[in-house]
This record gives sequence, C-alpha cells and structure tokens, in this order.
Amino acid sequence: MDKFLYLISEGLKNVWRHKMTTFTAVFSLFLALYFVGLLATAGENTRSILQYLRSKYKIEVFFKQNVDLKSAKKVSDLILEVKGVRSSTVINKDDAVRIFKDQFGEDILGVLGYNPLPISAVVNLKRNSEEMLKIAPVVSEIKKMKGVQEVRYQGHLIKKIERTYSRFMQLFPGVAVLFITVSVLVIYNTVKLSIFSRKELIDSLKLIGATKLFIQMPFIFEGLIDGVLATLISIPLIMGTVGGTNYMIDNFTSWNIELTVAPILFIWLTLLSGIISVLGSYRAVSGIMK
Amino acid sequence: MIDFQNVSYTHLKGRGVTNLSFSIDDGEFVFLIGPTGSGKTTLMRLIYFDLLCDSGKINVGNFNSDRIKKSKIPLARRDIGMVFQDYHLLNDRNVFHNVALPLHVIGCDASEISYRVEDALELVGFEGKRSHYPHELSGGEKQRVTLARAIVKEPKLILADEPTGNLDPVAAFELVQLLETINNEGTTILMASHNYNLIKGRGRRIIELKDGLMRGS
Repeated sequence: MDKFLYLISEGLKNVWRHKMTTFTAVFSLFLALYFVGLLATAGENTRSILQYLRSKYKIEVFFKQNVDLKSAKKVSDLILEVKGVRSSTVINKDDAVRIFKDQFGEDILGVLGYNPLPISAVVNLKRNSEEMLKIAPVVSEIKKMKGVQEVRYQGHLIKKIERTYSRFMQLFPGVAVLFITVSVLVIYNTVKLSIFSRKELIDSLKLIGATKLFIQMPFIFEGLIDGVLATLISIPLIMGTVGGTNYMIDNFTSWNIELTVAPILFIWLTLLSGIISVLGSYRAVSGIMK
Repeated sequence: MIDFQNVSYTHLKGRGVTNLSFSIDDGEFVFLIGPTGSGKTTLMRLIYFDLLCDSGKINVGNFNSDRIKKSKIPLARRDIGMVFQDYHLLNDRNVFHNVALPLHVIGCDASEISYRVEDALELVGFEGKRSHYPHELSGGEKQRVTLARAIVKEPKLILADEPTGNLDPVAAFELVQLLETINNEGTTILMASHNYNLIKGRGRRIIELKDGLMRGS
C-alpha cells in the first residue's frame, strides 16, 4: 500500500517538479481538445442552422386575376402534395392589400381606386431533409398547375446555401478524422517528449532495481493528471466560445439561432485526453526502457 | 559472490571483453584497473545484467546469466549497490529523497525509510544538508550521497565504476576509506579505477584489464 501511495504521490509531485514540461503538455493537449470540441460543436449545430435557414426559404405563387379564393385553395391543396413542400398558405386579395401597405406604406386602394393584387400563396419547404434540397422541380411542378400566373423564389440564394451545406457535409467526416488524428499525434508526441526529457530518472530507477511497473506508474498517473487539467481548461473555454458566438448572433444579426453544446461532448473529450495521455505515457516509457 | 566463466561480450561498434574467468568471494574488496577502453565498464554492466554475455557464464549471487529472465533483472539489481563517476543523482529531488529512492523500490514503509536513510547518511559522514538538492553540493558531497544511496538497501555487493574520477585527491582518498569501512561490515566491493596510485598498497586483490583481456589477478 505504501508503495502504491508513493507511486501516486510521485506522479502528483512530478507535475509540480516539472512545471515547464507539464505546462507544455497541458497546453498542447488543451489546444487539441479545444479545437476538436469546437469542430464537434460546429458539426452538431450545422443541422439546426440549416433548418433555420430553410425555414426562411419562401416560394410565392401568384394566381391569375380570374382565379377566385375557392379555386386558389384547391390549387394550394395540390401544392401541398408536391414532394418537399411543408406548407402552403393562401393570401386573399384583402390580405394582399394589407401586406402591401405594411411593406410599402401605400394604400393601393386609395391610389388606384381598385385592388389590382392577385390572390397568392406562400409555400414553405420541408426543413429536415438530410439531402440537398432541390427547389427547381418543386417550382416547375407548381408552374404547371392550372390558374398559376407566376412563381417567384430566391433561387440563387437557396442554391448557394444548399450547395454549401452539401459540400460541408461531404468534407466534414474527412476534416474531423484528419483533425482528430493530428490532435492525437500532437498530444502523443508532447507526452513522449516530456518523458524523454526525464530519461535520466528512468535510467536511475532501472539501475536501482525498479520494476517496469514501478517506473511506468508515476508517468502514467502524471499523464492522467495532464489530461484532466487540459480537459478542465478546455471545457469552460469551449462553452465560453459558444456563449460568445450566441451573444454575437443575438446582438449583431437578425438570425434566431442558438448554438448548443451537447453534454456528452465533454465526456468524449475527457475520455480522448485521458486515453491518449495515458497511452502516450505508457508507450513512451516502454520505449525508453527497451 | 561473482563468478565469471569464459565470458565474452562484443559491443555493436566493436570492443568489449574476451574470455574472462575470475571469481570474487563474499566480503572481498577487489579493485579493477585498466586504461580507458579496457573493458572495465563493460565488465561492470555484465555484472548487473545491463548487458548479457555473448558466450560464457556469469553468476552473481543467486542469479545466473544463462537463466535470468528479463523480468527478474530488477530483482538481481536490488542486491547490488552502484556508484558511478557521474553520480546519477536525480536533480529534481533533495538528498533525503535521492537516498530513499531504492527503499521505495523495495517497498519499505515510511518510518523504516526515514531511519535507514539517516543511518546511511551518517555512515558516509553526510549528516547535514539532507534537504539540499544535488546542484547545491560539491563533487565529494555528491559522491557521498551516491554511496549512501548504494548502501541504504544493505546490498550484498557494491559496484563502484570510477567513483573517484571527478573528485580531488583528498575526497578520492576519503571515498576509498569509506568503501573499506563498508567492506568491513561484510559487503563485497568491486571498484573500477584507472588511478593506480589510489589503490596501490592497500593489500586488496587487483584485477587488471587491457583491451578487454584479463592481464592479471
């Protein structure tokens, strides 16, 4: 028991004895965890951002002047059956006048003496599709419907958003794997370097008859402490960065988006740093002892 | 205590020792002399199984070079105290903790460690400065601490590889006297040196090496 406690206390003391090495190891671990955490948060929130942007997609369908409200509602029901359509709301002639006044400040009835605005419908698309949303087929199907005069939509913007999302989703797994691999290598090599700088200690312990386990234990425990410290620093910073981003979105944009951090991410980060630093310490000490 | 039978070892870059045969009895004090590169350090490393011989057979206490498993080498070293020219002290811990290290390795409890470290430091004439760090000590003091670390676990054998190499003549003389005192308690000592003046006239057996070969015993 004394021996075990000694090895644990040695691990703790080593953190203090080799402050510079500990700082380097913890700092690089922290950087790697911080960026992996942000990347995971970005991946996690991409869908909700896209859903928010898709909720803004709008197709405006204008009916011919001779189409009455009842016929327009029938066409609207047909529109609802088109694949990819979430909702279709009919706007009658009176509502159109009110909307016109809200938007342009002019009472069109007062100016012209009659209501030239046609009945229209606002069509919204489904938001939660994993695939790239294609708006052109929806528009072309609506255009073919009886009584439809004109269909207006933000084609260019929607195409751009959908294409960007599609590219992001294609690249994300590769970037994530690359980033985690680089992080693992950085952490592993930092731990390795910090142990190599104490080769003298390992050699001395070997000479006085220390077993492999006796030599490895303090280093492994030290690696674990480094990992825990780095996680403890990176978690509040990830939360702070996400909070700061939310503050900026709230105060400087008109977007109604709130980025979130999944609590499970912190468990993953703790496991990642713990496993890598412990494995890194174990392998580095074993390498020196060969 | 130590028995070499036709032992040869060659380093990857050449040199080593060739066909060495000799024995050192329990409680003996033997000097190992020879110029630099004659094989003294190689011979020492073969004794504490840092190197395993290419041919021949080495017995050190109950351990045999033919049969020793890698996992048992630390156990063999626990019966051996080692003193080196460059001290091998750990700069990040004080005198007390340097000397205590072998006792932690063998699993002594805290109270036992405390009195055994004090005893060892007293035996080598180093009673103050127990909380000093190696960089705060002179060469002679460092070597005394190294010796205290070697004897604290009460080994059966002490290997001293050029322990006086970095010491002034007075400190070197005192160190050899200390080793003799320890030997009088029954510990076997093998001390390598190329300083013949330091060891002559002491009435101890001398093994002479040259170019890896034994020239006399």
